[in-house]
Amino acid sequence: MSENGRVLILPCSGIGKTYGTVGREAAYSLAEELRPGSAEVVALSLLVMGDEELRARVQTSPVIAVDGCKLACASKMVAESGGRVAYEANVLDTFRRHRTLRPKGISRLNPEGQELAQELAQELAQATDKITRGEEV
Amino acid sequence: MSEFLETTVEKFIFKVATDRLYTDGHLWVKWEDGLVRIGLSDYIQQSSGDVAFAEPEPERTELAPGDDLGCIETIKVNLVLPSPISGVIKEVNPALEDRPELVNQDPYGEGWLVLVEVTDWEADRAKLLDPESYFKMMKAEAEEESSKL
Repeated sequence: MSENGRVLILPCSGIGKTYGTVGREAAYSLAEELRPGSAEVVALSLLVMGDEELRARVQTSPVIAVDGCKLACASKMVAESGGRVAYEANVLDTFRRHRTLRPKGISRLNPEGQELAQELAQELAQATDKITRGEEV
Repeated sequence: MSEFLETTVEKFIFKVATDRLYTDGHLWVKWEDGLVRIGLSDYIQQSSGDVAFAEPEPERTELAPGDDLGCIETIKVNLVLPSPISGVIKEVNPALEDRPELVNQDPYGEGWLVLVEVTDWEADRAKLLDPESYFKMMKAEAEEESSKL
């Protein structure tokens, strides 16, 4: 567990991509509404830049990677930074489980996209709870 | 093992397998001892985005050219695929139910869609494109799409 006991949430930074927006919305919902004391959103771009402070945190904290597409940049950057992904979520997989919730829009998601983000946020909350309890996800 | 024709358009590399024929709708068609295997070309899978659902018509479906062969739902588009041949679907790729991403990961291999028992291959094959012709068409289309961006 990290020094402040929080699980780090690293969402896709695919700016201009609908599924990236869903991932980020889910991450914000998790950290700000569902599990504000347990989860903290961190910036993928900082890891890409090689930020030493964040790299150190990633190496010592459980990380949930939220990827928006098959490139899986978030998961890959955790590994590149010497960390371990405790749980890997992919927006496309969540969509496959909730086919009627087809997301559209980028800066503002359609209602289906917002609902999909909430479904993903619930999935992330369950993963966060397990990680916090020291269970394997 | 397939060999490929390749072209680079912007950051994308598009491959065309040389051991099969193609439609102008970006399906590939491969003759295999009396049966024909069908899938999506590398160009169409890349330009359509990650596949969420791959749903070919069920086994024993009778096909005429132009009939619905199946539907591919990606993060960007829904593709309804017209059959390039006449025949009966003998087998649907069972792996696609759990792993539709195979269409993206291995479009000319594990990501095939259906295996069809053809009824008039000689007539159907005459309407298909050889790899070189498809490559030229695909390249022109990819470059045109790229110029719109």
